[in-house]
Amino acid sequence: MTGTLRLLRLVLRRERVLAPLWILLLGSFAAGQAGRYAATFTSDSAIADFAAEMAGNKALLAFSGQVYSPTLPGMTVWKIADTVFVLIGLVAVLTVVRHTRAEEDGGRAELLGAGAVGRAAPLSAALLFTWSACALTGLVAALGMMKQGFDAEGSIAFGLAVAAVGIVFAAVAALAAQLTDNARGAVGLAGLALAVGYVLRFLADGGDREPLKWFSPQGWSHLVKAYAGNDLTPLALSLALTTAATTGAYALRARRDLGAGLIAQKSGPADGRLRSPLALAWRVQRGLLTGWLAGITVAGIAFGSLATAIPGLAGQGASITEFFDRYAAGGHTDLVDTYLWLMALSLGYVTALYPLLAVLRMRAEETGGRAELLLAGALSRTRWAGGHLLIAAAGSAAILTLGGLAMGAVAGDPWRVLGAVALQTPAVWATASVGVLAFGLLPKATGWICWGVFLFVNLFGEILGPIVGIPYSASKTVIPFLYLPKVISGGDFTALPVLALAALAVLFTAAGVAGLRRRAVA
Amino acid sequence: MIAPTPITATGLRKRFGATTALDGLDLEVHAGEIHGFLGPNGAGKSTTIRILLGLMRGDGGRAVVLGGDPWRDATELHRRIAYVPGDVDLWPQLTGGEAIDLLGAVRGVASTRAPNTPTARRNELIELFDLDPRKKCRAYSKGNRQKVALIAAFASDAELLILDEPTSGLDPLMEAVFQRRVLAERDRGRTILLSSHILSEVEALCDRVSIVRKGRTVETGTLADLRHLTRTSVTATLAGPPAGLAALPGVTDVATDGDTVTFHVADGRLEAAMRLLAAVGIRSITSRPPTLEELFLRHYESEATVR
Repeated sequence: MTGTLRLLRLVLRRERVLAPLWILLLGSFAAGQAGRYAATFTSDSAIADFAAEMAGNKALLAFSGQVYSPTLPGMTVWKIADTVFVLIGLVAVLTVVRHTRAEEDGGRAELLGAGAVGRAAPLSAALLFTWSACALTGLVAALGMMKQGFDAEGSIAFGLAVAAVGIVFAAVAALAAQLTDNARGAVGLAGLALAVGYVLRFLADGGDREPLKWFSPQGWSHLVKAYAGNDLTPLALSLALTTAATTGAYALRARRDLGAGLIAQKSGPADGRLRSPLALAWRVQRGLLTGWLAGITVAGIAFGSLATAIPGLAGQGASITEFFDRYAAGGHTDLVDTYLWLMALSLGYVTALYPLLAVLRMRAEETGGRAELLLAGALSRTRWAGGHLLIAAAGSAAILTLGGLAMGAVAGDPWRVLGAVALQTPAVWATASVGVLAFGLLPKATGWICWGVFLFVNLFGEILGPIVGIPYSASKTVIPFLYLPKVISGGDFTALPVLALAALAVLFTAAGVAGLRRRAVA
Repeated sequence: MIAPTPITATGLRKRFGATTALDGLDLEVHAGEIHGFLGPNGAGKSTTIRILLGLMRGDGGRAVVLGGDPWRDATELHRRIAYVPGDVDLWPQLTGGEAIDLLGAVRGVASTRAPNTPTARRNELIELFDLDPRKKCRAYSKGNRQKVALIAAFASDAELLILDEPTSGLDPLMEAVFQRRVLAERDRGRTILLSSHILSEVEALCDRVSIVRKGRTVETGTLADLRHLTRTSVTATLAGPPAGLAALPGVTDVATDGDTVTFHVADGRLEAAMRLLAAVGIRSITSRPPTLEELFLRHYESEATVR
């Protein structure tokens, strides 16, 4: 433990911009949502009607979780909690890995480890910091809800539920950082745990299989039922998993060498058949793509399996009309079709992260000096970047095709579903092309912009925009996916938006590559 | 036939925000020579090299590499250039052998299997540098990563080799292998720009050197030229005190220890000093030209005094 406090100060120094940002952002989501609902539903009966309509909509319940309390605070939690849970889990994973395995990859852990610093001190500092930041996020969330006039008991229960997910996944990431021998692998492994937790929770709420929730860290926080039961017993499971993963991480760290993982390095061929920049880009990118293909297949199967369990919607409330307005076209009111379009959109939203990560990997090739080695050869920058971009573009299409096939096959409607999911491809390209533009013109900000674009596309249209007072009708105009024809839920295929999005993607990508050709290579 | 000058840079300028990296740097590398590129840390050596490779564009001045514009003609010129950076980072998932072949491929090395082609040379170099090409780059030490880049560069047919502190991670045995190889490449007619901090290496290898400081070239020429410009150190044991020695023009740093005196004397003033010493009576005397280290330290020291 020697040196933990000193390292903790280093972590604080390095996180002084990013951490306050996400603590405040995630902490204030719920209060912001509450403010918006309070303005929309001005009476108890209005919110109760809304709750009743939503409680019958399995397609939305799968995303948000069950309606536990038909009140203003209850519906606020229903709408926003799962988003906050997933995001805090994600930032916890990224933060822990950044201060543990990524430090070892960069050789900085070695520099510090040679000082009077205990072997487990970096791990302790990373966990202490991340846990504290998660607890603080929970506190901000609870205080924000109390400021909205909601009862203290429910608000505190909600804050604890938020903090618990972050704390669990911080510990899971600490364990993953010991199992793999590089930072990307650690993020991938911990991210997989996050995704499994999400899918189990999704199946539980979409398929009326409430017990499944007991197998998901996000599920435990849902089961707290803030403002309904305020039951803290499920958080005992969060605590148990945190303890187990943390103990495992410390045990592994005590046994392994600095820089080593559990998987030993193998020898490879003495000479190479890698002859082209495309072949190299494939070697650099294929692990990422393989992981995504596997993940999307699982997600497609999970999402598709609910299609046959969705009953029709009863009633004609305003929020039901709104729901079909958003996700269906031409007066179509078949809930299964609308659910499938919603799912296709969701796969598209998530898949947008893949090409952005591929761009970040290309940027890492540059900052690591490996691009310089190649560009000092007879390789033009266009061809170098072209290899990576080609794989990112084709990979995005492959991911959506596979996800669509898996979802369609399980939903029993293979071709229509495949068409709807594959249709997301140009919107994914358009989203990712902003990352390429950043890489060409603002290379130092590539990381911020890529993650920013991903979160913006996922959150702004339905959640952040309305919270900050921009109506959905306006906020949806900046989300490329919402221009796509709703081919499976009543819309007719029109080529214009598809071609326009593809053209936008080509334009931004070309501008990014042109920028790369003019700027200095780091 | 007059061989064209592989590298000519005149008045190169480059600023990074408020700091000036290059402040009118000149560099001329002649065909078929090993040119040493010396200077303290942060003097602008790597920035110069990155401009010569077209990875960066200078803010001012002009650079011509192998008759072309390094920025505009980068790809074409790079077919004829091999580069070894000082800090080699390789693809962790590739083996050393794969990385060597990849670097060769992007430079456009012929991949035929006939003897005396780059492939044969590659295998010979792997043996010479004692590299295990089956290991993943992730597992290589700094020295082994440098070997990968060096092997790829030496195995190429490039007419110009640009080496940026290429031996900082090599052991003495490998340093010797490196030096022999550089001389052999020069004898094959290649031109080599060698940026280095290892003065013995520069002294052993380089035909000409350029010393840079604060983004400017302060000395350039053959080692003999540079020595000519400077002082000889003399150590003499005398029969009596060398009265008036310190007052002679061109004599500096006079230090007396008993009957032994040491001093520096400028080129062209040696004769007057010798006459004075002979008049006192010389028991023994040694004189030697300044080492490169002394030449170099003079510039380091003047930098320290400038501050």
